[in-house]
Amino acid sequence: MLPTAPRRRAKPALVVKIPSETSYLALVRDLTKKMAETAGFPETTADRLALAVDEATTNVIEHAYKGAADQEIELRFEDRGPEFRVEIIDTGQMIDPRTVPRVDLERFVTERRTGGLGMHLMEKIMDSCTFRRSGRRNVCLLVKRKDSAPAA
Amino acid sequence: MSDLTVDTRDVEDVTVLYPRGFINAHTVRGFDTAIQKAVARRRFRIVVNCEGLTYIASAGLGAMMGAIEEIRASGGDLRMASLNETVHNIFEILGFNHLYKTFPSEAEAIASFREGGQAAS
Repeated sequence: MLPTAPRRRAKPALVVKIPSETSYLALVRDLTKKMAETAGFPETTADRLALAVDEATTNVIEHAYKGAADQEIELRFEDRGPEFRVEIIDTGQMIDPRTVPRVDLERFVTERRTGGLGMHLMEKIMDSCTFRRSGRRNVCLLVKRKDSAPAA
Repeated sequence: MSDLTVDTRDVEDVTVLYPRGFINAHTVRGFDTAIQKAVARRRFRIVVNCEGLTYIASAGLGAMMGAIEEIRASGGDLRMASLNETVHNIFEILGFNHLYKTFPSEAEAIASFREGGQAAS
Protein backbone atom coordinates (compact mmCIF):
# COMPACT_ATOMS: atom_id res chain seq x y z
CA MET A 1 0.00 0.00 0.00
CA LEU A 2 1.41 3.34 -1.04
CA PRO A 3 1.94 5.91 1.66
CA THR A 4 -0.43 8.81 1.31
CA ALA A 5 0.31 12.37 2.22
CA PRO A 6 -1.76 13.59 5.11
CA ARG A 7 -4.79 15.46 3.78
CA ARG A 8 -4.77 19.07 4.67
CA ARG A 9 -8.11 19.92 6.15
CA ALA A 10 -9.68 23.22 5.21
CA LYS A 11 -10.10 25.64 8.06
CA PRO A 12 -13.64 25.65 9.35
CA ALA A 13 -15.68 28.64 8.20
CA LEU A 14 -16.76 31.37 10.57
CA VAL A 15 -20.51 31.84 10.26
CA VAL A 16 -22.25 34.87 11.74
CA LYS A 17 -25.88 35.89 11.56
CA ILE A 18 -26.91 39.51 12.02
CA PRO A 19 -30.22 41.38 11.92
CA SER A 20 -30.82 43.33 8.71
CA GLU A 21 -30.06 46.68 10.35
CA THR A 22 -27.51 49.19 9.14
CA SER A 23 -26.32 49.65 12.74
CA TYR A 24 -24.58 46.26 12.36
CA LEU A 25 -22.50 47.38 9.38
CA ALA A 26 -19.67 48.60 11.60
CA LEU A 27 -19.51 45.15 13.20
CA VAL A 28 -19.46 43.54 9.73
CA ARG A 29 -16.62 45.80 8.71
CA ASP A 30 -14.55 45.14 11.86
CA LEU A 31 -15.11 41.39 11.62
CA THR A 32 -14.21 41.24 7.93
CA LYS A 33 -11.04 43.24 8.48
CA LYS A 34 -9.99 40.96 11.33
CA MET A 35 -10.69 37.81 9.31
CA ALA A 36 -8.82 39.16 6.28
CA GLU A 37 -5.80 40.07 8.39
CA THR A 38 -5.88 36.64 10.02
CA ALA A 39 -5.90 35.14 6.51
CA GLY A 40 -2.69 37.03 5.80
CA PHE A 41 -3.75 40.14 3.91
CA PRO A 42 -1.99 43.42 4.72
CA GLU A 43 -4.02 46.06 6.52
CA THR A 44 -4.63 48.16 3.39
CA THR A 45 -6.13 45.19 1.52
CA ALA A 46 -8.07 44.10 4.61
CA ASP A 47 -9.61 47.59 4.77
CA ARG A 48 -10.74 47.28 1.16
CA LEU A 49 -12.18 43.80 1.68
CA ALA A 50 -14.08 45.14 4.69
CA LEU A 51 -15.54 47.88 2.52
CA ALA A 52 -16.63 45.36 -0.14
CA VAL A 53 -18.44 43.24 2.45
CA ASP A 54 -20.00 46.38 3.97
CA GLU A 55 -21.31 47.27 0.50
CA ALA A 56 -22.67 43.77 -0.16
CA THR A 57 -24.43 43.74 3.22
CA THR A 58 -25.84 47.22 2.60
CA ASN A 59 -27.20 46.00 -0.75
CA VAL A 60 -29.00 43.16 1.01
CA ILE A 61 -30.56 45.50 3.60
CA GLU A 62 -31.60 48.15 1.10
CA HIS A 63 -32.58 46.08 -1.93
CA ALA A 64 -33.23 42.43 -1.04
CA TYR A 65 -35.00 43.32 2.23
CA LYS A 66 -36.06 46.82 1.13
CA GLY A 67 -35.03 48.31 4.46
CA ALA A 68 -36.90 45.81 6.66
CA ALA A 69 -34.92 45.52 9.90
CA ASP A 70 -36.52 42.28 11.15
CA GLN A 71 -34.78 39.92 8.72
CA GLU A 72 -31.57 37.95 8.98
CA ILE A 73 -28.31 38.07 7.06
CA GLU A 74 -25.77 35.26 7.22
CA LEU A 75 -22.09 35.95 6.66
CA ARG A 76 -19.74 33.08 6.02
CA PHE A 77 -15.98 33.69 6.08
CA GLU A 78 -13.61 31.07 4.71
CA ASP A 79 -9.83 31.04 4.41
CA ARG A 80 -9.27 28.48 1.67
CA GLY A 81 -5.51 28.76 1.49
CA PRO A 82 -4.93 30.54 -1.83
CA GLU A 83 -8.15 32.52 -1.57
CA PHE A 84 -10.35 34.30 0.94
CA ARG A 85 -14.08 33.87 0.45
CA VAL A 86 -17.03 35.64 2.00
CA GLU A 87 -20.63 34.64 1.37
CA ILE A 88 -23.44 37.07 2.17
CA ILE A 89 -26.72 35.17 2.32
CA ASP A 90 -30.28 36.47 2.56
CA THR A 91 -33.82 35.29 1.98
CA GLY A 92 -35.14 38.50 0.46
CA GLN A 93 -35.95 39.49 -3.07
CA MET A 94 -33.49 38.25 -5.66
CA ILE A 95 -31.60 41.14 -7.22
CA ASP A 96 -30.18 40.38 -10.64
CA PRO A 97 -26.79 42.10 -10.69
CA ARG A 98 -27.04 42.38 -14.48
CA THR A 99 -29.85 44.89 -13.97
CA VAL A 100 -27.67 47.17 -11.85
CA PRO A 101 -26.44 49.95 -14.12
CA ARG A 102 -22.69 50.21 -14.43
CA VAL A 103 -21.03 53.32 -13.15
CA ASP A 104 -20.18 56.15 -15.51
CA LEU A 105 -18.84 58.92 -13.30
CA GLU A 106 -19.57 61.71 -15.77
CA ARG A 107 -23.18 60.58 -16.03
CA PHE A 108 -23.35 60.40 -12.27
CA VAL A 109 -22.64 64.10 -12.11
CA THR A 110 -24.92 65.19 -14.92
CA GLU A 111 -27.82 62.89 -14.07
CA ARG A 112 -27.54 63.09 -10.28
CA ARG A 113 -27.36 59.33 -10.07
CA THR A 114 -26.09 57.92 -6.81
CA GLY A 115 -26.90 54.21 -7.15
CA GLY A 116 -24.62 51.45 -8.35
CA LEU A 117 -21.52 52.77 -6.62
CA GLY A 118 -21.52 49.94 -4.09
CA MET A 119 -21.59 47.25 -6.77
CA HIS A 120 -18.85 49.08 -8.65
CA LEU A 121 -16.67 49.15 -5.52
CA MET A 122 -17.23 45.45 -4.86
CA GLU A 123 -16.20 44.54 -8.40
CA LYS A 124 -13.12 46.76 -8.26
CA ILE A 125 -11.94 45.39 -4.92
CA MET A 126 -12.67 41.66 -5.31
CA ASP A 127 -11.30 39.17 -7.83
CA SER A 128 -14.78 37.83 -8.32
CA CYS A 129 -18.23 38.80 -7.20
CA THR A 130 -21.01 36.35 -8.09
CA PHE A 131 -24.68 35.92 -7.22
CA ARG A 132 -26.76 32.78 -7.20
CA ARG A 133 -30.09 31.54 -5.96
CA SER A 134 -29.94 28.49 -3.67
CA GLY A 135 -33.40 27.32 -2.69
CA ARG A 136 -35.03 30.31 -1.04
CA ARG A 137 -31.70 31.94 -0.38
CA ASN A 138 -29.70 34.50 -2.33
CA VAL A 139 -25.96 33.95 -2.07
CA CYS A 140 -23.47 36.67 -2.93
CA LEU A 141 -19.96 35.19 -3.08
CA LEU A 142 -16.97 37.51 -2.85
CA VAL A 143 -13.54 36.04 -3.54
CA LYS A 144 -10.09 37.58 -3.15
CA ARG A 145 -7.02 35.61 -4.12
CA LYS A 146 -4.01 36.08 -1.90
CA ASP A 147 -1.66 36.43 -4.87
CA SER A 148 -3.75 39.03 -6.68
CA ALA A 149 -2.81 42.67 -6.95
CA PRO A 150 -4.73 45.11 -4.77
CA ALA A 151 -7.52 47.10 -6.39
CA ALA A 152 -6.18 49.74 -8.75
CA MET B 1 -19.95 58.02 21.40
CA SER B 2 -21.77 58.71 18.16
CA ASP B 3 -20.65 56.84 15.03
CA LEU B 4 -20.52 60.12 13.13
CA THR B 5 -20.60 63.80 14.02
CA VAL B 6 -20.36 66.58 11.47
CA ASP B 7 -19.40 70.04 12.70
CA THR B 8 -19.56 73.05 10.40
CA ARG B 9 -17.45 76.21 10.38
CA ASP B 10 -17.63 79.20 8.07
CA VAL B 11 -14.29 80.69 7.05
CA GLU B 12 -15.28 83.84 5.18
CA ASP B 13 -17.05 82.57 2.05
CA VAL B 14 -15.96 78.95 2.49
CA THR B 15 -17.86 76.45 4.62
CA VAL B 16 -15.80 73.66 6.15
CA LEU B 17 -17.43 70.38 7.19
CA TYR B 18 -15.74 68.17 9.78
CA PRO B 19 -17.05 64.58 9.63
CA ARG B 20 -15.67 62.62 12.58
CA GLY B 21 -16.17 58.87 12.64
CA PHE B 22 -17.24 56.82 9.65
CA ILE B 23 -19.77 57.30 6.87
CA ASN B 24 -21.75 54.29 5.70
CA ALA B 25 -25.42 53.52 5.04
CA HIS B 26 -26.11 53.83 8.78
CA THR B 27 -24.56 57.23 9.35
CA VAL B 28 -24.84 58.90 5.95
CA ARG B 29 -27.89 60.97 6.86
CA GLY B 30 -25.82 63.19 9.16
CA PHE B 31 -23.30 63.87 6.40
CA ASP B 32 -25.97 64.44 3.78
CA THR B 33 -27.83 66.83 6.10
CA ALA B 34 -24.67 68.87 6.71
CA ILE B 35 -24.08 69.26 2.95
CA GLN B 36 -27.73 70.14 2.32
CA LYS B 37 -27.75 72.71 5.13
CA ALA B 38 -24.75 74.44 3.60
CA VAL B 39 -26.41 74.46 0.19
CA ALA B 40 -29.66 75.76 1.71
CA ARG B 41 -27.65 78.68 3.17
CA ARG B 42 -26.29 79.26 -0.33
CA ARG B 43 -22.81 78.35 0.84
CA PHE B 44 -21.54 76.75 -2.34
CA ARG B 45 -17.84 76.80 -1.57
CA ILE B 46 -17.47 73.74 0.61
CA VAL B 47 -14.41 71.96 1.99
CA VAL B 48 -14.78 68.55 3.63
CA ASN B 49 -11.97 68.20 6.15
CA CYS B 50 -11.51 64.42 6.35
CA GLU B 51 -8.94 64.44 9.16
CA GLY B 52 -11.37 62.74 11.54
CA LEU B 53 -12.97 60.47 8.92
CA THR B 54 -11.89 56.85 9.37
CA TYR B 55 -13.64 55.50 6.27
CA ILE B 56 -16.36 56.26 3.76
CA ALA B 57 -18.59 53.76 1.96
CA SER B 58 -20.52 54.34 -1.24
CA ALA B 59 -23.43 55.87 0.67
CA GLY B 60 -21.23 58.83 1.62
CA LEU B 61 -19.87 59.17 -1.89
CA GLY B 62 -23.46 59.10 -3.14
CA ALA B 63 -24.34 62.00 -0.83
CA MET B 64 -21.56 64.04 -2.43
CA MET B 65 -22.65 63.06 -5.92
CA GLY B 66 -26.22 64.03 -5.11
CA ALA B 67 -25.25 67.61 -4.32
CA ILE B 68 -22.32 68.36 -6.59
CA GLU B 69 -24.26 69.42 -9.67
CA GLU B 70 -26.21 72.13 -7.83
CA ILE B 71 -23.06 73.29 -6.04
CA ARG B 72 -21.07 73.64 -9.28
CA ALA B 73 -23.98 75.13 -11.21
CA SER B 74 -24.08 77.81 -8.52
CA GLY B 75 -20.43 78.69 -9.06
CA GLY B 76 -19.08 76.70 -6.14
CA ASP B 77 -17.33 73.43 -5.57
CA LEU B 78 -16.94 70.67 -3.01
CA ARG B 79 -13.29 70.01 -2.23
CA MET B 80 -11.61 67.51 0.03
CA ALA B 81 -8.80 67.98 2.53
CA SER B 82 -6.66 65.79 4.76
CA LEU B 83 -7.75 62.38 3.47
CA ASN B 84 -6.23 59.47 5.34
CA GLU B 85 -4.85 56.51 3.39
CA THR B 86 -8.04 54.45 3.64
CA VAL B 87 -10.28 57.23 2.35
CA HIS B 88 -7.75 58.21 -0.31
CA ASN B 89 -7.65 54.61 -1.55
CA ILE B 90 -11.44 54.49 -1.87
CA PHE B 91 -11.37 57.73 -3.86
CA GLU B 92 -8.76 56.27 -6.17
CA ILE B 93 -10.59 52.97 -6.65
CA LEU B 94 -13.71 54.82 -7.78
CA GLY B 95 -11.91 57.51 -9.73
CA PHE B 96 -13.33 60.17 -7.43
CA ASN B 97 -9.91 61.82 -7.31
CA HIS B 98 -10.65 62.94 -10.88
CA LEU B 99 -14.05 64.36 -9.94
CA TYR B 100 -13.14 66.13 -6.71
CA LYS B 101 -10.09 68.23 -6.00
CA THR B 102 -8.20 66.99 -2.98
CA PHE B 103 -5.65 68.86 -0.88
CA PRO B 104 -3.21 67.85 1.86
CA SER B 105 -4.63 70.40 4.31
CA GLU B 106 -7.74 72.43 5.05
CA ALA B 107 -5.81 75.68 4.62
CA GLU B 108 -4.73 74.70 1.11
CA ALA B 109 -8.26 73.64 0.17
CA ILE B 110 -9.65 76.98 1.40
CA ALA B 111 -6.88 78.91 -0.37
CA SER B 112 -7.67 77.11 -3.64
CA PHE B 113 -11.00 78.93 -3.81
CA ARG B 114 -9.15 82.22 -3.70
CA GLU B 115 -6.65 81.20 -6.34
CA GLY B 116 -8.91 79.10 -8.55
CA GLY B 117 -6.11 76.75 -7.62
CA GLN B 118 -5.10 73.34 -8.78
CA ALA B 119 -5.55 70.25 -6.69
CA ALA B 120 -2.54 68.61 -5.17
CA SER B 121 -3.43 65.19 -6.50
